[in-house]
Amino acid sequence: MTTEHLFDLQKVAKRFVKGKDSITIFDNLDLSINKGDFVAIMGPSGSGKTTLLNLLGGVDQPTEGEISFDGQRIDKLSENLLAKWRANNVGYIFQFYNLMPMLNAARNVELPLLLTNLSSSERKQSVATALELVGLADRAKHMPSELSGGQQQRVAIARAVVSDPKLLLCDEPTGDLDRATADEILKMLQLLNREFGKTIIMVTHDPSAAKYANRTLHLDKGKFVDRELAA
Amino acid sequence: MFSFISQTWAVIVMNVRSLPRRLWMSLAMVLANAVVVAILLAFLAMDKGFEVTLKGAGSDDVALFLRGGSAAELNSGLGRDQVNLIATAPGIASNANGPIISAELYVIVDGIKRSTKTEANLPLRGLELTGIEMRNGFQLQEGRMFTPGTNELVVGQGVLREFEGFEVGNTLRIGKSEWRIVGSFSTGGNVFESELWADLNVIQSVYNRGSSVQTVRAKLSESGQLDAINAYVENEPQLNVDVQTEKAYFAGQSKNLSYMAWFGKIISAVMALGALSGALNTMYTSVADRAKEIATLRTLGFSTGSAFLGTLVEAMVLAMAGGLVGAVCAYLLFDGLNASTLGGSFTQVVFSFQMSGDLIAQGMKMALVIGFVSGVFPAWRAARMPVLLAFR
Amino acid sequence: MNDFYLIYKNLTRKKLRLTLTVFSIFIAFTIFGAVSALKGSLDSGIEMSADNRLVTVNKINFTVSIPYAYVNKIRAMEGVKDVTHANWFGGYYQEPAVQIVSMAVDPTTYFDVYNELVVPDEQMQRWQSNQTGMLVGARLAKVYGWKVGDRVPISSNIFSQKTGGQTWDFTVDGIFDAEDAKVDTGYMVFHYKYFRETNSYGGDNVGWLVLTTTSSDLNEQVAKSIDEAFANSSAETETSTEKAFNKAFLEQIGNIGLIIFGVVFMAFFTILVVVGNTMVLAIRERTNEIAVLKTLGFTSARIFKMVLIESLLLAFIGGLLGLGAAKLIVAAMSDQLARFLPNIAVGTDVIIQALLYMALLGLITGIAPAINALRLNIVTAFSRG
Repeated sequence: MTTEHLFDLQKVAKRFVKGKDSITIFDNLDLSINKGDFVAIMGPSGSGKTTLLNLLGGVDQPTEGEISFDGQRIDKLSENLLAKWRANNVGYIFQFYNLMPMLNAARNVELPLLLTNLSSSERKQSVATALELVGLADRAKHMPSELSGGQQQRVAIARAVVSDPKLLLCDEPTGDLDRATADEILKMLQLLNREFGKTIIMVTHDPSAAKYANRTLHLDKGKFVDRELAA
Repeated sequence: MFSFISQTWAVIVMNVRSLPRRLWMSLAMVLANAVVVAILLAFLAMDKGFEVTLKGAGSDDVALFLRGGSAAELNSGLGRDQVNLIATAPGIASNANGPIISAELYVIVDGIKRSTKTEANLPLRGLELTGIEMRNGFQLQEGRMFTPGTNELVVGQGVLREFEGFEVGNTLRIGKSEWRIVGSFSTGGNVFESELWADLNVIQSVYNRGSSVQTVRAKLSESGQLDAINAYVENEPQLNVDVQTEKAYFAGQSKNLSYMAWFGKIISAVMALGALSGALNTMYTSVADRAKEIATLRTLGFSTGSAFLGTLVEAMVLAMAGGLVGAVCAYLLFDGLNASTLGGSFTQVVFSFQMSGDLIAQGMKMALVIGFVSGVFPAWRAARMPVLLAFR
Repeated sequence: MNDFYLIYKNLTRKKLRLTLTVFSIFIAFTIFGAVSALKGSLDSGIEMSADNRLVTVNKINFTVSIPYAYVNKIRAMEGVKDVTHANWFGGYYQEPAVQIVSMAVDPTTYFDVYNELVVPDEQMQRWQSNQTGMLVGARLAKVYGWKVGDRVPISSNIFSQKTGGQTWDFTVDGIFDAEDAKVDTGYMVFHYKYFRETNSYGGDNVGWLVLTTTSSDLNEQVAKSIDEAFANSSAETETSTEKAFNKAFLEQIGNIGLIIFGVVFMAFFTILVVVGNTMVLAIRERTNEIAVLKTLGFTSARIFKMVLIESLLLAFIGGLLGLGAAKLIVAAMSDQLARFLPNIAVGTDVIIQALLYMALLGLITGIAPAINALRLNIVTAFSRG
């Protein structure tokens, strides 16, 4: 089945068992995301947006339902296959950057390339390109602790795109940054979406961040509240 | 001043309250200290026990004559003529029977150790009743004294305790001769309790020693006073003997095992370095763990001194706790532990480990030093913690 | 960059902690190596004893002598290959404190019975024909720098010369050595005849007898027939294998040895527990980073391996340094201790044991965090952080 859709979610349910209680995060959730979309997922705390992102990123699996990525089911993959799938298809950007503190910027960016078959010189080339793209070519040798928050997040973006995945998943990417820096980061994401055709799914609290997306989903208590957008 | 104390107290209380967060690290530090102290104490208690056993045997009232250069009773040998010459020396106390001297001879015989069931060397000492009277703290525990001229012997409490088959009433076959054990004795825990005693003349005849002996003990007319005897020995060309007080002799013998104490001190010093680095790790972790708290307190106006002392006290408390645990364990495990080893006379010396207050104090001192050193550097780091950290 | 670089960076991220941890492990293995070497040195008499060698001593005690006539009687017995005898001399060099292990032996048979000792032929011939000569063990010779041809006075704290005095003059006629470094060569031997003719005690008595059997299967039988032959005589004998004899002698030192080695090895393991605890905690602090690696697509197995290699590396760095230090210390002390102990060295068996413990330390401290990393759920890891 060839499709315009990058993601297809059908009747997805996610429940946690906590002690004696079973907590339902979503039930019967349907969602499609087109290739090349920039989707913002908004909603109050506890609405399930991070859980949704985890499901899409293949770090978590649904209790019921199907998740297809580019026509391929990922909801039943084994842990190892999922790890491989993530390495090939997903770039992650976290709220708190999550750079390795003992590695310099370039080596942090190089990290995902250890999961490819690229040679050392090819890896170096890719790292240089990625750092160039985020405008930090001159900070390659700096340690994360020597960089500002915005710079660290740009290194994280470089790390997310260095292996050229189709999908970027961002969890509150600007949550720890001031307004101006946040705008810079968001512009950069927008550029990646428009110029490089990356599909971006971004969880955010911030309505002004959501404006950079071309589609916004509002999640509340495990349901999309604006049905027409979710259709 | 009051404010400094109350500040410091507040920091200490906070540190102690936060200990459970670092439970494993802190326990590791306590354990490391406990082991170091326990080891040090084990060796010191062994050394002490051995020393007490030997030194307790020596009297200042008794002069001991050995053949020149022989250094130990076992190597010595004196003929009848030499014994007679010694008897005429000045400075020796006398009674109705003449000068109070005891010529003695021992042979080494095998005994079976209870612990290992293997043969070990025991001294079978031949002596006269005057010699027995010279022994400090001699007391017959059971049965009676041997009858001179018969194959009877009495056994020391130490031998009874550590070796098999020496119970009073038993008959013992040593070589071709048979011996009846007629009594047991104690000498207050010293080395003589590791011996078997029989009549000198019987030993001489059974072991073909003619009239030769190994040592002569003489009661001094004045305690510790050897000058007259020394002068006599030097001016008597026929006499080839070394004289010392019995006390001095055994003090020298007790050095035999002092290498153990040295070995123990070196091992525990090296171990202490290992424990120290473990403790430093713990304390640096503690400071890192409390960084935000420390910075917050400093923001509130607490002094650097209180941050410094708070950390130092934490380290000392943990080290002390370790030291106490180690001392208690060492006390329970080692105090009174019976052991026997080869002494300077090539025979078994039965002794028990002795823990005492001053040894425990030495152990605690070691723990405190470790605690101080492991606390002072991290405490310095805590004191210099930037206040800004509180705002991150 | 590769996985090793990541491991290296993880290992070295906190230099102070790394240094302290490595130092603790270093200390533990230094102690282990040195004390094991000491223990090995004490036990080497047992280990190095020949299977077919027997020792005959007076039944009363081994310090009591036996008539010389026994030597030839035993030589004639069935199953006996070679017999030699020795007398303890109680020797010292210049000062009574400087004791020299020295024995009066039969020059024609001693080295037949102790055939692991090697002496150049011409030295042996010179010694056998020179009644006042002595053969010195290589290690003893090294301690005092004695060379072939030197004249050395050795005194006895037991015996006197007939002519008075307690010092005998010897010429160093040769130096004996052994191929296996564990064989004790820290003593000297000289002619029994010289000893007998010059000492003031007189009497033709030997201290003990050493013999070899034609086959170790005959050991028991030969020992029995020797002891039976002299039963009810004025000097009854007790014959045991060399191994049993050495072991019994060691046990005279008694439970002291047991206590000391017990205490030291307990200490060794406690240090390892303490260090292991630090290592486990150090890796636990990195839960978040491990979750990030997993998110990036590193497989659990790969992370498991990295964690395990890291702790193994730490254990081996500290351990090998410690073992090296033990070797240096033991080598430095070897000459100092030559007077008291047989050859002391950190032997292959100690090294193998130490390597095993290093691997164990690395595995045990690594396995718990590695399994944690393996099982780590990314979602819960992040929600915790």
